[in-house]
Amino acid sequence: MKEKLKECINWLRGKGVDYADCRYIRREKEALQVSDGHVDGMSHNLDVGVGIRVVANGAWGFAATANLTTAELKKTANLALKIARASAMTKQEPVVLAEQEPFVDHYKTKFKRDPFEVPAEDKIGLLVNVCDILRKSKKIKTAESSMEFYRINKLFVSTDGAEIEQEIMESGGGYAAISFDGKEAHRRSYPNSFGGDFATSGYEYIEGMNFLDHAERVREEAVALLKAAPCPDTTTTVIINGPQMALQVHESCGHPTELDRVLGTEISLAGGSFMTIEKLNKLKYGSKIVNIVADATVPGGLGSFGYDDEGVKAQRNWLVRRGKFVGYLTSRETAPVIDQRSSGAMRADGWNRLPLIRMTNINLEPGSWELDELIADTRSGIFFDINKSWSIDDKRLNFQFGGECAWEIKNGKLGRMYKNPTYTGITPEFWNSCDAICNKKHWHVWGIPNCGKGEPMQTAHVAHGVAPARFRNVKVGVSK
Amino acid sequence: MTGREKLIARLQQVMARSSADQTEVVYIGGESGLTRYANSYIHQNVYESNCRIFFRTVLGKRVGVASCNSMVLADLRKTLEDAVEIARQQPENPNFPGLPKPAKYKALDTFDEITAGFSPRDRAGAVKKVIAEARRKRFTVAGSCATSCGEIAVVNSLGVEAYQPFTSASVNMIAMSDTSSGYAAGTSRQVSDLDFRRLARVAVDKCDQSQNPRGVDPGEYEVILEPPAVAEMLEWINYVGLGSKPFVQKTSFLSGRIGKKITSDKVSLYDNALDTRSAAFPFDFEGVPKKKVAFIDKGVARGVVFDRAWAKKAGKKSTGHAITADENSEGAFAMNIFMAPGKVKREKMIGAVKRGILVTRFHYINGLIDTRNMVLTGMTRDGTFLIENGEIVGGLKNMRFTDSFMRAFKSTVAMSKETQCVDSWWSAVGCMTVPTVHLGSFKFSGKTEF
Repeated sequence: MKEKLKECINWLRGKGVDYADCRYIRREKEALQVSDGHVDGMSHNLDVGVGIRVVANGAWGFAATANLTTAELKKTANLALKIARASAMTKQEPVVLAEQEPFVDHYKTKFKRDPFEVPAEDKIGLLVNVCDILRKSKKIKTAESSMEFYRINKLFVSTDGAEIEQEIMESGGGYAAISFDGKEAHRRSYPNSFGGDFATSGYEYIEGMNFLDHAERVREEAVALLKAAPCPDTTTTVIINGPQMALQVHESCGHPTELDRVLGTEISLAGGSFMTIEKLNKLKYGSKIVNIVADATVPGGLGSFGYDDEGVKAQRNWLVRRGKFVGYLTSRETAPVIDQRSSGAMRADGWNRLPLIRMTNINLEPGSWELDELIADTRSGIFFDINKSWSIDDKRLNFQFGGECAWEIKNGKLGRMYKNPTYTGITPEFWNSCDAICNKKHWHVWGIPNCGKGEPMQTAHVAHGVAPARFRNVKVGVSK
Repeated sequence: MTGREKLIARLQQVMARSSADQTEVVYIGGESGLTRYANSYIHQNVYESNCRIFFRTVLGKRVGVASCNSMVLADLRKTLEDAVEIARQQPENPNFPGLPKPAKYKALDTFDEITAGFSPRDRAGAVKKVIAEARRKRFTVAGSCATSCGEIAVVNSLGVEAYQPFTSASVNMIAMSDTSSGYAAGTSRQVSDLDFRRLARVAVDKCDQSQNPRGVDPGEYEVILEPPAVAEMLEWINYVGLGSKPFVQKTSFLSGRIGKKITSDKVSLYDNALDTRSAAFPFDFEGVPKKKVAFIDKGVARGVVFDRAWAKKAGKKSTGHAITADENSEGAFAMNIFMAPGKVKREKMIGAVKRGILVTRFHYINGLIDTRNMVLTGMTRDGTFLIENGEIVGGLKNMRFTDSFMRAFKSTVAMSKETQCVDSWWSAVGCMTVPTVHLGSFKFSGKTEF
């Protein structure tokens, strides 16, 4: 395949293009879903193809095909060239790419146990056993458990001379119990909502989550939610647990620091950003204890890789340092706007999608608190756990997030449970009210396999390293 | 495009070698192009030729699914073998009802030659028209223009043979000034239905009228919700409430409420994939004919959509709304939702508002806060206006709403005579054909800075 791609690149070079790259991607996916003890779905999906990106006449073109014959690849390269020329019909300034060393390299995810080689009966057995524990209460009407595995082989070749091969392995899973009393229904999940937790790892990641150890607690909490009090409508202190902090970082720091959004090229779908260029190195985004990095090198992070999808090496860069906004997620095209080189954040959802600026692992650096001490230090407040709902405006300022459940904090102790809890705020005001972050012991990289962006829609696999954190004067309880 | 005879023959050729008790093959393939523009120039311009072939094999009540995106015979046979092997590895699923038997499908014209041949240059030409309209007011513009053609086929070993070619075209645009923005969009099976200049004028006019917006305090307001706003709410209502899975799992607002009045009697909501005002299609991904399904009829809860497996769990029959086999655990999904229109013209509806808010569209709605009460939250976007004494008096800064669909739509004052077919915002599947809606009470819970 490498020779076929190099042939395409040479052909495009001969046509005088400004730049071109070809990406071959083979993505294998296995998914298992168990519902109420029965296998509701077990599937294997294979997706293979080549995407060709061209800059010609100063404008972009992209074409992709699943037909991998030499003739079809050349036809697709020609189409990408024609599309670039059509794009040039509305060109204002020619595309300029930041300089980039053309790497020739190979990268592979480190893992211990190939999930595709684990017997199906082992995986199904674990998922069924979890459901059996969850269903031991009559109030639980549905128990669901699932696993997903990906093996992604990538080959990247460019007119700059890059030749990069990568093999990424991803594993993840989780479960949920839904309680119902004839009137209300509540969901409780482990270890996170919307499919669980994911990592670039082998089957050992599933084993490490110890599914069975948490199922009884999840079941009892789902049942308890049926009798829980509604979250009060008030302004108070909140402590946000890890999975919900991951969502908070994702929506209010990850997305707004994507430089393509800032420059307006995502306006038509997901909006822009309040973190505009004149605010770089000036905006007091958060309090002094808030440090956020984009780190594609974290071992096991779902946003970890060797090289991004335009051949830029994985990096660790500051986005927020001691509360100040200091960096963006960038691409080779956008980085020159702020006189920088790419931060290596261009990622595509497969061979048939154009790389876009996407999050990698966007991590809130740990603080110094033990979680017990933090709760004990809080006279009155609410402890939020696991995300249930999310909404934020198109500049990423006004947000409202909901949890699966919350607990009252009274005189330094967790009290009664609250159902349908929500909190709302304005992003910089919220982060400036952060006065405590838990330490490394409580810090975990949460894998999020469903980040949407772009037209046509692309789903990225990203992650957030976070620990529980405390915020003051937060409005909670807006649910009706 | 492969064509009916050749495609069905190829799928049947592969299926004939299956060792399973029952076998189903589903083909989805075609070509699509999308031209994306921002800051008044084209910045992304993509083409894709792709297909996906799903094999579902049945051994007793054990089911295996495998898919690939290659029509090479060896790849198809390998994928079929994978599906059989997956079925072999599983315990029996007592809920599996077996594959469907042959059925007749309604003849629908869903393919348009002009749309299929719409080139990247044609799309760039359409975008140029939009940019030109925005320039008249010195606004910038962003959006996308997409066209596609494809074919879907379903065959199974019980004799099902379903085939349908299709095209689609859509455009969306946001005109922007320093202080405001305005939105317009269109979608159809035929690109010639899209009047790019007229839509651009709508976006430009909204942007112009909402310049230098003022802020109002959150609270309860009378609202006029334009079709994109209504459709964005329905997208979430569909996801968490109108499908078989949430209904059976009791998380849907319709569970336990069938036959009960849940909104104003002015509200009728249904799915009808056979109505060509929508992106019509005659069958689902199991080869079951699509049926019209009422969700809410004159305010009374009526039902949800089903595929065969979830219908069996609920003691119902499939309504022809199965999704692809790899996603079967998610249950059936409505893709052609209609909200019944009223008799009033949009302009007259605005004239009837003493003090209220007109919402062009919403952003980032979420409907998971309290699905039993169908509570939604989201932000207004790209054209929010204050109405006083029946007239639009200026733009408003964007606001957050948090409200129950059932509570808000109990206060329905009127539905417009005109309807608009609106694309799905995030799922890329389906569309909603809806009127402008006048609600007597809608709760805004917050505001933002722009």
